[in-house]
Amino acid sequence: MHMTRRQRVLWLLWFGVLVAVGATMLVLRARLDRAHVALIFLLVVLGGSSAAGRALGIALAFGAFLAFNYFFLPPYLTFAIADPLDWLVLVTFLITSLVAAQLLYRARSTAEAAMARAAEVDRLATLGAETLNLARPEDALRAILDVIRTTLGVVSCDVLIHGAGEGFVTIAHSPADVSAQHNELSADWSPPGDPTVHDGVLGWPDTTDTASAEGLVGWIFVHGRGAVELADGAIRIVDDPPLETARPERSDEVRALWIPLAVRNETVGVLRVRTPGDLRLTLDQARFLDALAYYVALGVERQRLVAEAERAEAERRVEALRSALLTAVSHDLRTPLTTIKAIAHEIAHGGPTDGARVIEDESDRLDALVGDLLDLSRIQSGAIGPSAEVNTADDLIGAALRRADAILRGRAIDIDLPPNQLLAGRFDLTNALRALVNLLENASKYSPTGSPITIRARQEGDRLRIAVLDRGPGVPVEERARIFEPFYRPATTAPDVGGTGLGLSIARGLAVAQGGGVEFEPRAGGGSVFTLVLPGAELGSESTFVV
Amino acid sequence: MSTVTVLVIDDEPQIRRAVRNALISGRLLGANGDSAMDSPPVSGSDGQRRVRVVEAATGREGIDLAAAESPALVVLDLGLPDMPGIEVCREIRRWSSAPIIVLSARHADTEKVALLDAGADDYLTKPFSTIEFMARARAQLRRAQTAASPNDGVMTFGDVSVDLPKRRVERAGELLHLTPTEWLLLRTFVTHPRQTLTHRQLFHAVWGNAEGDAQQYLRVYVGHLRRKIEADPVRPQFIHTEAGVGYRFEPTGTS
Repeated sequence: MHMTRRQRVLWLLWFGVLVAVGATMLVLRARLDRAHVALIFLLVVLGGSSAAGRALGIALAFGAFLAFNYFFLPPYLTFAIADPLDWLVLVTFLITSLVAAQLLYRARSTAEAAMARAAEVDRLATLGAETLNLARPEDALRAILDVIRTTLGVVSCDVLIHGAGEGFVTIAHSPADVSAQHNELSADWSPPGDPTVHDGVLGWPDTTDTASAEGLVGWIFVHGRGAVELADGAIRIVDDPPLETARPERSDEVRALWIPLAVRNETVGVLRVRTPGDLRLTLDQARFLDALAYYVALGVERQRLVAEAERAEAERRVEALRSALLTAVSHDLRTPLTTIKAIAHEIAHGGPTDGARVIEDESDRLDALVGDLLDLSRIQSGAIGPSAEVNTADDLIGAALRRADAILRGRAIDIDLPPNQLLAGRFDLTNALRALVNLLENASKYSPTGSPITIRARQEGDRLRIAVLDRGPGVPVEERARIFEPFYRPATTAPDVGGTGLGLSIARGLAVAQGGGVEFEPRAGGGSVFTLVLPGAELGSESTFVV
Repeated sequence: MSTVTVLVIDDEPQIRRAVRNALISGRLLGANGDSAMDSPPVSGSDGQRRVRVVEAATGREGIDLAAAESPALVVLDLGLPDMPGIEVCREIRRWSSAPIIVLSARHADTEKVALLDAGADDYLTKPFSTIEFMARARAQLRRAQTAASPNDGVMTFGDVSVDLPKRRVERAGELLHLTPTEWLLLRTFVTHPRQTLTHRQLFHAVWGNAEGDAQQYLRVYVGHLRRKIEADPVRPQFIHTEAGVGYRFEPTGTS
């Protein structure tokens, strides 16, 4: 029997105690009753049992039994027994000793198991609290995998779930820098025939398959059963892979475990634990791994739910936009169409032709709306690519004034540029122009006819800021957060003010896509300031450009 | 009586009809100045001129007609059923110098730039007004004529005069100092009046085929040049910005 050094010392010590006690009693034998001897020996057996376990207790019991017989029951120094009643004493002593040693052992191991379990529960509770505290579900998964890896001393573990397409993807792995091998696994592997596996580890299945591990993930998803990968690459289907590795009589080497992650009887992922040598767990470790695998399953589920919630939110926003779009399209497109149709009908039937001018105006309105909708969809789909070039503020403002000419007609436009300095930025002129024109149109639409509009351009830090200042009614505090939403129109807007409610939203979208933005602030003395912010460009002195 | 032939390549009968009606309305040739829209048709040196419109519904047909009819102006719609409009443009430009005006429903600047680089002279995005179309068509015909006429080398616009052989620029009688790059830009503009020059064409004219850091500052050079020759550089009279495409020089100071 294999013993540790500490156990050997204990055994020697307690046999020493037995000899010492026996010798002492031998000296006093004349004055001692059999009951004294039996009780004192029993004390030694109990002491030994509680100190070093059941085996020592039993050994001490037999040693004391022999010593009792040999030294203390007449005829002395023989194993013969004169009085048959002495047999009764002796056998009773032996049985009492053995039972006591066994009971002590049982009590002690129960207490130890309880302590171990308490420690395990403690660890799991801490882990649970820690992982729940992590804001991002990916981090929680990583944390659990780290615990599994360090606790079991394996090389790596990772979690595979269904990818967006056909295959499977690793969503978390420990250690973090493990190369993303097996990132895409095909799902089309199936074992030859359905492996017959009995419940539990005792039903040792014969089915081994040397197929690659890749299709295995898919099989595990479908069947909800685990697998162990042996050193020779063979795959063995088992119901509880951790328990499988803990089987003491197992002779083959296990290299990897594939543990199905199930939540409410549905497989949500596969936990893969890998190690280069033989993975041999204790029963406690196997239980611990099973418990942690459930945590991993919950983590995967949490991640899925979070992703689902995000997708639902995105869909809700798209849906809101879509319904706003439908309203706008049905109203803003049909109104001019109705007018055009009515007037065209009149003209076609010999009516007055002076309505042709209205047809032209309404066509322009339709054209503007179609342009707005196209821009909006380009922004929403992220199709505005960065095509930034060095452009001057002169160009931008000049082109915007020309394009907004019809709208700004009859209105004084003050242009406030720093004297003797050419301002420039790095942006796409067409998109910046569209944004600025929208700001000008907005200012014109919501400020009294004839009131002046100021355009002020400044370089501030690495930003080019072009502000459009009007003397309109401004924006109420409670509406400021909403003015950049698509299809937003102020509640007080007169119905004939026109516009699609897209102008500011498009302006901001176009500016943001270029690394800038549109800012609002109330103007001192009444009115609004909308500022188009664009990435600036350092020009240095003019002499730089002499070529 | 001489005849000006205009080729219209468009698969949409309604647009062909609108363009034809505009072209034969008699306003196409009444052009010596930009305000000539309302003036009566002007006689050519050899008497009355007439506009003849030839129509093609496909690209292939258009190319054949461009070869057979030697039109003075080509109006090309990009949305053709049989081949990309830009291919038609390239094909015609290979052997014809007739101005090409492109009609497009797409507003992407990159497409406009590609077209101008492929040899188109001007473009219009749908929907466009007849007035605008006629103004562009007149400008192209006039430019085709003036390009052929000899030039004494001195151009004047507004209060600026440019002496090309002497490399002298004066504004209101005073000598203007231009950097070499500004001079090359200005020379390119005045020798290509009313023509939209893409950024690439301007790069090429100023820097040749060389690649360099300076090129990204083309718009800045134009900005500096404007500040020297324009009264109000934000509302330029002569060098107009075609956003996302390039610049256009208008010697008569209109847009």
